[in-house]
Amino acid sequence: MSRYRYPPIPESEVTPWELFEQRRRFLKRGAALAVAAAAPGLLFTPPARAWQATLARQLEGELPSRSLADGEALTDVKDATTYNNFYEFGTRKSDPEVYAHRLVTAPWSVAIEGEVEKAGTFALEDVLAGQDLEERIYRLRCVEAWSMVIPWIGFPLAELLKRHAPTSRARYVVFESILDPDNLRGQRRSIIEWPYREALRIDEAMHPLTLMAVGMYGERMPNQNGAPIRLVVPWKYGFKSIKSVVKIRLVEEQPTTSWIDQNPEEYGFYANVNPEVDHPRWSQARERRIGENGRRETLMFNGYADEVAELYAGMDLNKHF
Amino acid sequence: MPDASQRILAFRLLVLLAGSLPAVWLAWQWYFGDLGAVPAEAVVHFTGRTGLILLLVTIAFSPAFRLTGWVGIMIARRQIGLWAFFWLVAHMLAWMGLDQFWDWPWIRREMVDLPYIRYGAAALLLLVPLALTSFRRMQKAMGYTAWHWLHRLVYVAAALGVTHLWILTRADYRMPMLFAAALAVLTVFRVGDALLGGKRDA
Repeated sequence: MSRYRYPPIPESEVTPWELFEQRRRFLKRGAALAVAAAAPGLLFTPPARAWQATLARQLEGELPSRSLADGEALTDVKDATTYNNFYEFGTRKSDPEVYAHRLVTAPWSVAIEGEVEKAGTFALEDVLAGQDLEERIYRLRCVEAWSMVIPWIGFPLAELLKRHAPTSRARYVVFESILDPDNLRGQRRSIIEWPYREALRIDEAMHPLTLMAVGMYGERMPNQNGAPIRLVVPWKYGFKSIKSVVKIRLVEEQPTTSWIDQNPEEYGFYANVNPEVDHPRWSQARERRIGENGRRETLMFNGYADEVAELYAGMDLNKHF
Repeated sequence: MPDASQRILAFRLLVLLAGSLPAVWLAWQWYFGDLGAVPAEAVVHFTGRTGLILLLVTIAFSPAFRLTGWVGIMIARRQIGLWAFFWLVAHMLAWMGLDQFWDWPWIRREMVDLPYIRYGAAALLLLVPLALTSFRRMQKAMGYTAWHWLHRLVYVAAALGVTHLWILTRADYRMPMLFAAALAVLTVFRVGDALLGGKRDA
């Protein structure tokens, strides 16, 4: 398999060094000023580092890369960044790319709470610190019967959860996306209940395939794909892979999700990719691979049955769809 | 000053030109690759929406004529109706060819299994006799009363088309609601007109 070449970034889009430096200086001075103005106690704590700097360092050099898409060709990065479902920006596939600049990602923090011993709200740079990033090439199958192959960059969700020491009562993990109707035009209409909520069973969350992704195609995550940090669960329909995560809550009882609340007949808790269980209104047996003509057969658990089928042993997947 | 028939012909040509604009737009977008990541899907959506919009416009012509009395509306009606039919046939062909890649077993299976495909197919089927009898000679041969009764099928076809769109919509019902509301208003007008206006036909 030939190595994927990242499309070159045109010279015109590169920020001139002077501007970049100016901005750094401006930020540093601003930070210094803020520190000086703050209470004397603050002078002894270092100014907050932006997560962008932490991530930029982590993205330097060659990351370990694993393809878990059977060598299938990567989706064109242009398609992967212009054909998106991210209703916070609007319901058309082109809306997220058009309105993505309105998403405010700095500063960013993630609240980790509920059934964990180390609960709190953590700056993204602290969430990222110490995590070994890697590239994972996964198929992504949308419930709307289209699919892509994406080279994500991230780390296993399990690594994050372990740090916060889930208690024995932690049986489910609930995720919440950002809520910011001032900037996210889609949230001004209640198409679904905002903020967007998703959830996994704890064993699904701890599974080594389950990623917290902070980048794709070698770069940090574009806003329209769920910047700065999102979930990726490759054997489930795409809507499970919640974007722009601000809260992770561990709970004892099975929670509901935004899509279940929107239409419980059509969206179940598990939402595992399954060609044999159709969506009530359309078939799930085949999928359109973006960039290809015709249709592909959809694979059980999106092709990850060997890794995850045992999680659902003995369950009636027609009932637990 | 050109005589009346010449002016009508010129007007018809103008409508023809205007009616072909969506096709020009679509061809332009296709040619320059502006239809996004999934051009096939964009074409299927565009043809379907344009067809349904024009179908509702055709239905709106009769009340518009009643309100304004401008005869141009009635001269343009058949053409716009035929454009609607053209776009809906294009919609079906785009779905079969661009979307399903002429995979006949699957096309058949989807037509059997999926209600929204059935509603869409039924709508198009109902429009076939309307398109075939849209010419003045047919209108005369059938007699006006029979012709008008037959052409009321356009309301049924439009309702099936809106249902088709409604079923396949995911979460955001703004567009199908707009279409449904427009059709409801037009239907109320039609029924109200028939009840109040007696035997007048339009």
